[in-house]
Amino acid sequence: MTFVVTDACVDVLDRSCLEECPVDCIYEGDRKMYVNPVECIDCGACEQACPTAAAVADRAIAGTAAAWNTVDNAAFFDVVLPGRDTPLGTPGGATHLGPVGTDTAAVAALPPR
Amino acid sequence: MNRPVDVAVIGAGPTGLFAAFYAGMRGLSVALVDALPEPGGQISALYPEKIIRDVAGFPAVKGRDLVGALVEQARSADPEMLLGRQATDLDDLPGGRFRLGFADGGCVEAGAVVVTGGIGTFTPRALPCGEEFLGRGLSYFVPDPAELAGRRVLVVGGGDSAFDWADALQHTAQVTVVHRRDTFRAHRHTVDQVLAGPAVVRTAAVVERLRGDHRVRAAALRDTTTDEIVEIECDHVVAALGFVANPGPLLRWGLDVTDRKIVVDPAMRTSRPGVFAAGDVCTYPGRVPLIAVGFGEAATAVNHAAVRLDPTASTFPGHSTDAAAQPVALSA
Repeated sequence: MTFVVTDACVDVLDRSCLEECPVDCIYEGDRKMYVNPVECIDCGACEQACPTAAAVADRAIAGTAAAWNTVDNAAFFDVVLPGRDTPLGTPGGATHLGPVGTDTAAVAALPPR
Repeated sequence: MNRPVDVAVIGAGPTGLFAAFYAGMRGLSVALVDALPEPGGQISALYPEKIIRDVAGFPAVKGRDLVGALVEQARSADPEMLLGRQATDLDDLPGGRFRLGFADGGCVEAGAVVVTGGIGTFTPRALPCGEEFLGRGLSYFVPDPAELAGRRVLVVGGGDSAFDWADALQHTAQVTVVHRRDTFRAHRHTVDQVLAGPAVVRTAAVVERLRGDHRVRAAALRDTTTDEIVEIECDHVVAALGFVANPGPLLRWGLDVTDRKIVVDPAMRTSRPGVFAAGDVCTYPGRVPLIAVGFGEAATAVNHAAVRLDPTASTFPGHSTDAAAQPVALSA
């Protein structure tokens, strides 16, 4: 039960969600934003803020072609991203972490928008 | 120091308010602590106007009305309301009691503690630059609009608090609103008041840096479309960028924590004897984060705290429908 930033964010990176999230759990990759599923409180503020409708509830995309985004958002925090030694895990706030500067392999491989 | 109590409840959201009520039902004295000046937790901070439909007995209830009813219910316990006080330290005292310390230096002594801290302490979202001017021309609130009369005030943000302050100040001060988008999430009416009034509204602009000496003197604004930077002189900057919650000091109290949640057993006991947790701050296998769940956990936690305080007591509290709790006409 969390919100997810889908690939509709790729190369848009508006960041309005980052300003709205009351728990500061939306992190900035190189080409898109990612919701930390452990820190997300499922409030939906990002959904209303997103100008490209990229922020959606995971249950809204379950079973659709966009469902891979749920796994991919989690992977951003669970796998070791290129150029890093450890997974991001639960950093406890995007503001103090700052832009991560890299993406998951699946997102990095997407064609430029 | 406040008067000692049987139970200190930390966090005045729905779970904490119900825990305070329940302590009263057990005949325990209770202090209810919250970092925010208003009770209601996430409901008050995030969705006071939304309709909630999954609280038992309320087919549909507006957020602020539910908080109002919970406050009224909690009042029967005559709680010591310690609002606007952030709990920072939890120290052991002799006899298994606790000293709960606050950020402002105050404290309260309690026999048991129920942590109902939810998603944590709400604090103002920081401006990405110029933090060094905090208290020297940069603030997150407008403590007293009269103090800013005649000043050049920069209000940063596009939400309700930004526009409420811009509107409150625009006829007595020279107000400029800076917002990074060209749409506003504040109440339409307030936005219209500000757009029609003397305040200057700059959209698609962000504060790049603040300049000053012992006080803020100017802000450099960057146009987000052209990256062009302009500096405007100002006497005061109000950063109204909303609130962010984080678990704060609770997680440093030596309690067993996983994924930033306090681990509890089926009696809502934490790993520290005498300290219980309930609501969204706690976790156990299969937990579902709902208000309805928090209410049940609060009752369980307080009933077990009652036994901890008096081992001869029963965990079962009796029924609220028992004669003593009924209006006179009914119990006669």
